[in-house]
Amino acid sequence: MVREVSESCLDSLLTEVVSCYCNRFYPNKHDLAARRIEAIGYQVGHQLSERYTMERPRFNDHLEAIKFICKDFWLELFKKHVDNLRTNHRGTFVLQDNKFCWLARMSIDPFADSGKSPEDITSPTAGNKATHAMKMHLYFSCGILRGFLSNLGILCAVSADILTLPTCAYFSLSHTYTEITL
Amino acid sequence: MIVCVAVVGHQNNPLYIQSFTEADDALKLHHIVHCSLDVVDERVNNPKKSGPLLNETFLGLLYPIENFKVYGYLTNTKVKFILVTTDLDVKDADVRNFFRRFHAAYVDAVSNPFHVPGKKITSRTFAERVSTIVKSFGLTSAV
Repeated sequence: MVREVSESCLDSLLTEVVSCYCNRFYPNKHDLAARRIEAIGYQVGHQLSERYTMERPRFNDHLEAIKFICKDFWLELFKKHVDNLRTNHRGTFVLQDNKFCWLARMSIDPFADSGKSPEDITSPTAGNKATHAMKMHLYFSCGILRGFLSNLGILCAVSADILTLPTCAYFSLSHTYTEITL
Repeated sequence: MIVCVAVVGHQNNPLYIQSFTEADDALKLHHIVHCSLDVVDERVNNPKKSGPLLNETFLGLLYPIENFKVYGYLTNTKVKFILVTTDLDVKDADVRNFFRRFHAAYVDAVSNPFHVPGKKITSRTFAERVSTIVKSFGLTSAV
């Protein structure tokens, strides 16, 4: 029996999770809130990895696992593929999504004061606060990726960056202690 | 007749062991499952060229012991399923089918938000599903 939930419910839930953790549970302690959100994502990714790798044979190496994430896993979660994958062949992978679905409905709110001229919108402080707020929304998906990879045995750190809304990129670094780079 | 099924985590920690005989030989079954873990590791690390595909999840017959046969299955997340049976004429397709259904039940049990990864599976639903799968093992004709 498969029960479904509408995508807008999930969008609203994630927005509310970020807002709750940042404003109610850990006000002024954004690092702690980010870590908690990432930990939630970690458990989700852990469980999703069991479900989505069920049908296929085992992965040969890290690159195959990352390619699986870019194609099948992203397709299951967001109904699209990752748009660009780059690697430095030394354990760092960059996955780029040009229209990340959980950021697709966000906009940077220009200041409402009528006295401000348009040039002020691009002032450093305004931009920083907005991107900082948006980055909080990426921690959950970073956690999902980290949980997914760690259940496959690939220990890594995942961080995300917003290039130009709604494009975002995920950086995944592997820490394998016995790796020899050539 | 299936005697025992077991789920072993990726650090060789037991997650679920269930025996289906009335006899009180749980310890012997535990021991058999434990020995089979070594065989699984050996199969994965030293693939035989003529054997099954390198990356298949189903490992096939691991080894026969006394009057039991032990089958293994390794998932992508390094979780091992072990099946101990006393049947003499077990069809390969039946065992694959069994592991497929068992894997589906395992995934559902692990997706429970109250399940802690690495700890034993305590879900009653999982236990019921497993006994249903075990009962219908070998009864359905292979299509």
